[in-house]
Amino acid sequence: MMMLSSDCQTITSKACRQPVHITQGRLNDGLESGFISNEESKQKLLPIMSTLLEELNATGACTLPIDESNTINLKLIEQRRDPLTVQEYNVPVFTQCKDHFIKSQWDLTTQQILAYIDGFRHIQKISAEADVELNLVRIAVQNLLYYGVVTLVSIFQYSNVYCTTPKVQSLIDDRSIQAECLSYVTKHGQKRARLRDVFQLYCGLTPGTTVCDLCSRYSQQLQRVDERRLIHYGLMKALIRLLQKYPFKVTRDERSRPPRLYTGCHSYVEICCKTGMSYKELDERLENDPNIIVCWK
Amino acid sequence: MRRYNMYISSTSFELQGERKSMYKQSENSSYKSGEKTSPISVILVTSGSRGNKLLFRYPFQRVADCTSSLTKKQRSPYALNTTGDVLEDPDGDSREQTPLTDEQLVAGFSDIILATILATKSDMCGKKFELKIDNVRFVGHPTLLQHPHTIQVSKTDPSPKREMPTMILFSVVFALRANADPSVISCMHNLSRRIAIALQHEERRCQYLTREAKLMLAVQDEVTTMTETDGSPQSPFRQILPKCKLARDLKEAYDSLCTTGVVRLHINNWLEVSFCLPHKIHRVGGNHVHPEALERSLKAIRPYHALLLLDSEKALLAQLPLDCSPALVRLIKTCSAVKNLQQLAQDADLNLLQIFQIAAHLVYWGKAIIVYPLCENNVYMLSPHANISLYSPLAEGFSQQFPGHDLPSMLANFSLPLSLSEFRNPLDASVQEAQLIQMVVWMLQRRLLIQLHTYACLLVPPSEEEPGLLRDEELPLVTRVGGRSLSTPSALSFGSPTSSDDMTLTSPSMENSSAELLPGGDSPLNKRMTETLLACLTEHERQVILNIPAAQSPEDLRMFARLLHYFRGHHHLEEIMYNENMRRSQLKTLFDKFRSVLVVINHEDPVISLFQSPLE
Repeated sequence: MMMLSSDCQTITSKACRQPVHITQGRLNDGLESGFISNEESKQKLLPIMSTLLEELNATGACTLPIDESNTINLKLIEQRRDPLTVQEYNVPVFTQCKDHFIKSQWDLTTQQILAYIDGFRHIQKISAEADVELNLVRIAVQNLLYYGVVTLVSIFQYSNVYCTTPKVQSLIDDRSIQAECLSYVTKHGQKRARLRDVFQLYCGLTPGTTVCDLCSRYSQQLQRVDERRLIHYGLMKALIRLLQKYPFKVTRDERSRPPRLYTGCHSYVEICCKTGMSYKELDERLENDPNIIVCWK
Repeated sequence: MRRYNMYISSTSFELQGERKSMYKQSENSSYKSGEKTSPISVILVTSGSRGNKLLFRYPFQRVADCTSSLTKKQRSPYALNTTGDVLEDPDGDSREQTPLTDEQLVAGFSDIILATILATKSDMCGKKFELKIDNVRFVGHPTLLQHPHTIQVSKTDPSPKREMPTMILFSVVFALRANADPSVISCMHNLSRRIAIALQHEERRCQYLTREAKLMLAVQDEVTTMTETDGSPQSPFRQILPKCKLARDLKEAYDSLCTTGVVRLHINNWLEVSFCLPHKIHRVGGNHVHPEALERSLKAIRPYHALLLLDSEKALLAQLPLDCSPALVRLIKTCSAVKNLQQLAQDADLNLLQIFQIAAHLVYWGKAIIVYPLCENNVYMLSPHANISLYSPLAEGFSQQFPGHDLPSMLANFSLPLSLSEFRNPLDASVQEAQLIQMVVWMLQRRLLIQLHTYACLLVPPSEEEPGLLRDEELPLVTRVGGRSLSTPSALSFGSPTSSDDMTLTSPSMENSSAELLPGGDSPLNKRMTETLLACLTEHERQVILNIPAAQSPEDLRMFARLLHYFRGHHHLEEIMYNENMRRSQLKTLFDKFRSVLVVINHEDPVISLFQSPLE
């Protein structure tokens, strides 16, 4: 059994952290045919190993024939983080322009749902409209998420409440984010939105303020800005975050059944998805219940 | 590696059974699902005159069964079938076979193989050792023991020297998942090195390691003989545990790393080795906080911050070793959530630098967090990572601590940002003020609340004519103003002494403020100062500012100009107040007067919000 020690650590620490994917024939197998014990082929080991090291560090891939019948194919795979589980109420948004992707490179399910990913339809809706089974849609989107093709945002509603995160500062500090943001949020056909207006809009998103309130308060700033795209961009870059309502049933009565959904673990959106109620229905029902208290977070 | 797959499937059943009994203390799912920050195994190997030996490993592994019993195991109704069956996967992505659990990954390596690959040559001693095979990464710190003839033979050791097998080097190796974070790997290496230092010391003093090694090998030989005669496979390591203190120490280190992340060992009941894995201690919202981020945060602590202990004073003092620094004890005793670090320095009679160092140390070990000192105007809001479930242990704890109150209702109050002064005038007048403060402290300690601060950013409305695309947005103030550094001693690091020339902050900021301006009047000197300060603005910006009605008052304009460098969105109100010795009302009035050019933002302080929210 032969082992390549990670000497590559001295070159780039990143290279040795990534699993080297052996695409054809395991390194050990290839060399088992007496390569190591044979004296003359043993001489080739050193140049082979140095070539491997150089090429992997340079291009991340290496194809190296070691004798007439054996070839080593190696490739560095980028370590990606495990994606979050995709829920029915999540909305996938393309991180780059949709047209950059060659449709035919993706699997059939993904191809079928691609047209329905517009940043506003949530998973359940995509499944219904594209006529693809819910689980399949979830897996396909999870796959896209893994490769960084999409990110997930929440369903857009004018009654949503958002608040700023410290990252909103990057709009001021980072010119590239500025440029990207302003081009993304500008209303179609309008002159470019102004930084001050956009920044004020983001800062106007505070707990207790719905998007609807924002629109009425900052109507002047919104002349050149599309509020839906504003929210989208803010969520994608984590400049803002959604505040969700979590209901609790505070039972005064010992005999009543313990709450199943109203435990503080499920947001309104989740409950709506699970029970099929509309947001408005649920809101009305819970507003009138004296035993329900609501937390926003 | 293929050869070992057979052993894996046969041992899987036993491993599961053993796993349940051994890991009873930590039944959380993260443990079983292959937590990336936990080690998979701890292994002790040595190399010496008798060759390479694996002395101990934990968790245990059943001695590999021979292939004939493999088929028998597969027919057992309880055996885990690792091939073929597609298990129900909630995500729907079916895989061909269930992936091997961590224990199975390392179990695949036999003792002999491990001894060969982990016991290195002498020239690799004293350095970090790291080896990755498939999905396992081994990390250790091989340590050279001195040549035997220079070791003093202990008088109590009865065995004559020539019969003692000489140990040349040893290594405590941790097996981790291959994709473990590099910071976790270096932390494990650190622990391996610390244990090695202690063991090396004890070996030199009284041959502790040699003695323990001898015991371990004797038990291993015994069990091997028994296996040969009886035919029933047993793990020798299980027998070693009750007999060897070192084995128990290693087991304890492993168990602690997998659960709390705090390791405290007493090697040979004499030397203390303590270690903490920040990834386990600083976990918020299911993610760990990267030690580098932690360190950066700690270096940005300011004198106006406060230290909030996470345990009671008594509990914390009880955890300290007997020979701990008296400064630490004094600090813990005088610490309070309403006192900032500067006041703490005065009360504890320590200099500010020491306070910073001790505070950083306590925070690193997860015993305290940095907050802004509690005061009336603090605004708090529910943390996005707060566990607000009705049935959480937090809810229970709260009801026990504050009978008659329930946590969810209390938390609901903070759904919208609430200042402490507003909170102290609740509709329910029966609750006492002091208790309310205690509740807030309780919630802060459990990271349920975040504090919101106000920041201001200078953004002048652009002129009407827009010649180019980026002209209006060009280089906001932050990039133009060189910016004075308002940071604390930058050389603050864990344990090492810092240079005293960094320490200029002993009193609120007469040095740091730009308040060298003479008071009163529209003197030419003042006017020139104001002009200089405004010089970094563009002509357009200057015009707009000067046209504001409030700018007609020289005092107001002067104050504005003086504070200009804070209006980049990086310094919150409280910081400006501290540095410039100003009152909140003064600042708020100024913000209001110049609101046409300032944008005010509210969010948590990114420096200390690290302790409330993980970094992506």
